[in-house]
Amino acid sequence: MGRYVIRRLLQAIPVLLGTTFLIFAIVYALPGDPLQALAGEKRVDPVFAAALREQFHLNDPLIVRYGYYVRDILSGNFGTTFRGLPVSTIFEGKFQVTFQLAITALIFEAIIGIGLGLWAALRRGKWEDKGILAVTLLMVSIPTLVSGFVLQLVLGVQLKRNTGIDFFPVAGIQDGLRSYLLPGFVLAMLSIAYLTRLTRTSLMETLRADYVRTAIAKGMPRRRVLGRHALRNSLIPLVTYLGADLGTLMGGAVITETIFNLPGIGQQLFQSVYLRENSVVVGIVTVLVLIYIVANLVVDLLYAVLDPRIRYE
Amino acid sequence: MSNDTLPSTAPVQPAKPVKESKPASLWSDAWYDLRRNPVFIIGGAMLVLLIAISAFPGLFDTVGVDAKTCSLAQARKGITSEHWFGTDNLGCDVYSRVIWGARVSIIVGFVSAIVTAIIGGALGLLGGFYGRWVDVLLSRIAEIFFAVPSILGALLILAVIGRDNAGIGTVVLALSLLAWPMILRIMRAAVITAKAQDYVVAARALGAGPGRIMIRHILPNAVAPVIVVSTINLGAFIAAEAALSFLGVGIQSPQISWGLMIADARNRFLEAPLPLLFPALFLSLTILSVVMLGDAVRDALDPKLR
Amino acid sequence: MRVTKGAQIVAGTALLALAVAACGGGGSSSGTGSSSSAAGNAGAVRVEIAEPQHDLIPGNTTETSGAEVLNALFVGLVDYDADKKPYNRVAESIESTDSTTWTIKLKDGYKWHNGEPVTAQNFVDSWNFTANGANAQEGNYFFGSIKGYDDLNPGEGKTPTATTLSGLKVVDDKTFTVELKNPFSGFPTMLGYTAFYPLPKAAFESEGKLKADFGGNPIGNGPFKISKPWKRGTDQTISLVRDDNFKEGKAKVDAVDFKIYTDLSTAFNDLRAGNLDIMDQLPPEGIATAKNEFGDRYIEQPSSGIGYIGFPTKNGADYAKNADVRKAISMAIDRKTITETVFSGTRVPADDFISPVVSGYRQGACGEACTYDPAKAKALFDQAGGAKMGTIEIGYNADGGHKEWIEAVANNLRTNLGVEVTPKPVEKFAAILEDLGNKKWSGAFRMAWIMDYPSPENYLRPQFGSGGSSNYSGFASKEFDDLVTQGDAAKTLDEGIKFYQQADDLVLKEMPYIPVYFYQTNGAYSQHVKNVKIDPFERIDLFNVEKA
Repeated sequence: MGRYVIRRLLQAIPVLLGTTFLIFAIVYALPGDPLQALAGEKRVDPVFAAALREQFHLNDPLIVRYGYYVRDILSGNFGTTFRGLPVSTIFEGKFQVTFQLAITALIFEAIIGIGLGLWAALRRGKWEDKGILAVTLLMVSIPTLVSGFVLQLVLGVQLKRNTGIDFFPVAGIQDGLRSYLLPGFVLAMLSIAYLTRLTRTSLMETLRADYVRTAIAKGMPRRRVLGRHALRNSLIPLVTYLGADLGTLMGGAVITETIFNLPGIGQQLFQSVYLRENSVVVGIVTVLVLIYIVANLVVDLLYAVLDPRIRYE
Repeated sequence: MSNDTLPSTAPVQPAKPVKESKPASLWSDAWYDLRRNPVFIIGGAMLVLLIAISAFPGLFDTVGVDAKTCSLAQARKGITSEHWFGTDNLGCDVYSRVIWGARVSIIVGFVSAIVTAIIGGALGLLGGFYGRWVDVLLSRIAEIFFAVPSILGALLILAVIGRDNAGIGTVVLALSLLAWPMILRIMRAAVITAKAQDYVVAARALGAGPGRIMIRHILPNAVAPVIVVSTINLGAFIAAEAALSFLGVGIQSPQISWGLMIADARNRFLEAPLPLLFPALFLSLTILSVVMLGDAVRDALDPKLR
Repeated sequence: MRVTKGAQIVAGTALLALAVAACGGGGSSSGTGSSSSAAGNAGAVRVEIAEPQHDLIPGNTTETSGAEVLNALFVGLVDYDADKKPYNRVAESIESTDSTTWTIKLKDGYKWHNGEPVTAQNFVDSWNFTANGANAQEGNYFFGSIKGYDDLNPGEGKTPTATTLSGLKVVDDKTFTVELKNPFSGFPTMLGYTAFYPLPKAAFESEGKLKADFGGNPIGNGPFKISKPWKRGTDQTISLVRDDNFKEGKAKVDAVDFKIYTDLSTAFNDLRAGNLDIMDQLPPEGIATAKNEFGDRYIEQPSSGIGYIGFPTKNGADYAKNADVRKAISMAIDRKTITETVFSGTRVPADDFISPVVSGYRQGACGEACTYDPAKAKALFDQAGGAKMGTIEIGYNADGGHKEWIEAVANNLRTNLGVEVTPKPVEKFAAILEDLGNKKWSGAFRMAWIMDYPSPENYLRPQFGSGGSSNYSGFASKEFDDLVTQGDAAKTLDEGIKFYQQADDLVLKEMPYIPVYFYQTNGAYSQHVKNVKIDPFERIDLFNVEKA
């Protein structure tokens, strides 16, 4: 297993190079001069622009610029933005905010998604199953912005005004973990829908499997069958989804972060793409891809734990 | 959870009535089941209706979606005999717009979901089955794409294709380009599990070739989670299409789609919920019809349930 | 040259995709984001802003959020009274005999937060810094009318031949003179804006070079001083405390916290929940609620912005080149219903190129051309051959919440003129401007203008003068240029107005832009504060705000 992990981590190097180069190339190819974006709507001063072009190697071909970037990264330097802020300053605190948000969402997702899926599978075809399906459909078709805003209004504003209960902050991160509850749930909603359906299907597939039927036929208590065999074997697609979703939640939290005014990486990524701040975009994506790689690796290792027949190759 | 909540999947299921004496194939058995399954009939009817609406919106339309039918003075009004679903922020008839918006949404939703399922599914199947360098290569490529933020993907396509050529095709491309890695991960996981099952080991021992094992033994047992994720993807794609329109990659006014309708109605949701709720309802019904069909077909095809 | 993309004015939520991009990114904080529980300053007045686009440097700030903060930290030569007329603050007098050479005398007693007196040199240093193109300050263009500007900003490919404006001369500690390129009687009206604030000696590392940390920890001469350095991009709150040595007296409140929000709806919810005290702009969808819940704590007043539909009249499509077609389009737009329904009354129908906030505005100046009349519009459109000129495109930037009103205008045109219309969203406004500059944009486009200083001239020359800094329509008229110059050269601003109005009439006749709406300022404040006033630059008069 140790060798497997090392091999996987070594494989991360080409992935990192690939991703950063891809992002670099995309931002390079995007229409819009980054220095013009810097100046907003007025024309950028030519003298100033020339100096910046020199400083940021903007006149060099793509591959050369990428080379400079890799060199900087290897010396632990994320670079500076066109507006002169060090990229590391921009990252300060933001990854932490988004990571907490994503983890909160992931916990909601796992508990609610798997819980609802389990319930639906066990009550298959009954009204509970249908009700859960309806809730899932709502979560997919009502946009985050609406559900987020409504929850903010009801739990953040109305609850406080009408009952004096000031438990859910409207916005900001000043209330510690409490600040993340509402946004975490809002961010998790779409994923809850996926996970609920996935759990339901996965569990039903397993319940139909021969060994489960055998176990039941042998007279093993159903609760034990469920816990020991069925659930455990159904978990593989679920942890796969959860693992892969962590990165998606971190990179895609822009709307939730906006509604709840959380100073996170989702907003930053968005703004940096808008401003064509290559160094910030590539920096964020580099961290995101690392999270993907590690999360996927952990999931792959879990396969063998969940199903002993699976071996590392 | 009580003990007896476990569904009665035990072999004591009542045998279904034996029909004609000629030997029934799996498929004809399934079809026989399906025709009598209300879930299949309702789901199928809904889907047929939705497809009919997208193919011939004119047949279902009442007011029309011509600009002349919109009147700002009538904006955000409730349900009336003329406006069955009320009016939107610009005073246009929500019902007619839902009808005319079906085509783009349904095409975008289904095509993107199917394209992602096929690409992600095929690569996941290969990677999971062959393992080793095939898996390493495919999984690492997936990781590279995984981390590309969706807005970048959309902007990239915009840059390559250009604003003036944007249309349904670009939307499908933009959505699928970044969504397949998740399907790959799900498929791969399912294949890895299935590969270790006894019957696969047995088939291999009996000398079955890799292609046969993949298609005949592994795929049927691994496809369920992919289908489930794809049905939800279908809905998510329909909603996400609107985001691309904002960037200029998606379809543009005067074309209509559910995603755009939902997006346009968001800000005024509290004042005027109808223009958001009705397209959202149709979006839900589309997913629902696919979920119902999927469930029914899977049950009918699953020999273990017979 | 303050073309606005509307980002600061319109709610960020207008967009799914670009929700944030417009308003500046989120700041981060490690517990500094203030609210009821953890305020930056206990008991501070909490004011909503978007993240300033730059550090707190007067010359580099042309957007409203940064200007809001700087307005509390600094005080300029003049300020504006309720009639938008300038009155002297730091200035003792601003005088000229020929409207070209101005002598500015300062009052005694204004001090920097570090205790040094405010001198004439401080103004000259600050203006030279901002006017120097190499410093890339956003407010650079404000100094374009001062002699010597061209030596500092010679244009593409040329080397500057000076580092200071030859038109600025320090006479003594309290006096300096400004020589303009051309006579301009409205010059004193310019001097209250952020870009004209002075900078202290302590701001400079060496001559003409600003200290790197000044923008995060500025030293001002205003009623409030910064209480702890602000880290742009990280801190979500900018905290100020009262400067007790301020010449004009002590501010009524001891501290102000500017809270950075990326979304107006969020801020409005925070205001309603009691976690915020003042908002000087509200999300349009919150107006009804605000009127209802805040009563007389709801503020509605004209603001300086104008929204237009513009046309490339020289290089555009046939419909863009034809003045009658443009007029027909203007008459086919139902401004009243659009402002009431789409904007919930946060805009009012426009009927002049000069905003109601400056003197010189004439109600109904636009006359028939800005009056909704579908039948006449159609007749004029057909008569001018508009029907054969193809699909009308209207470009807009997707990041500013413009979609709805552009769609409403498009529906008006489709219905009333029977023409095909394609609204065309573009990722950001700069892209449209760039295309217009390169003559690659042929269709109509949305446009807006916020004044730099309260003079009618500011609504005319930059946008419609030959070679104007923001002339995107290509409108050019010798007669117009002459009239504006005559207005500038008049003895007083008031005497100049009639020339400006004649120039205005010329533009109204040609309609290179169609004025659609005037912006309004819509604000609200909590019951913790009173005496909240907002000036025409949308800055809150924090010096006079009181605790309630």
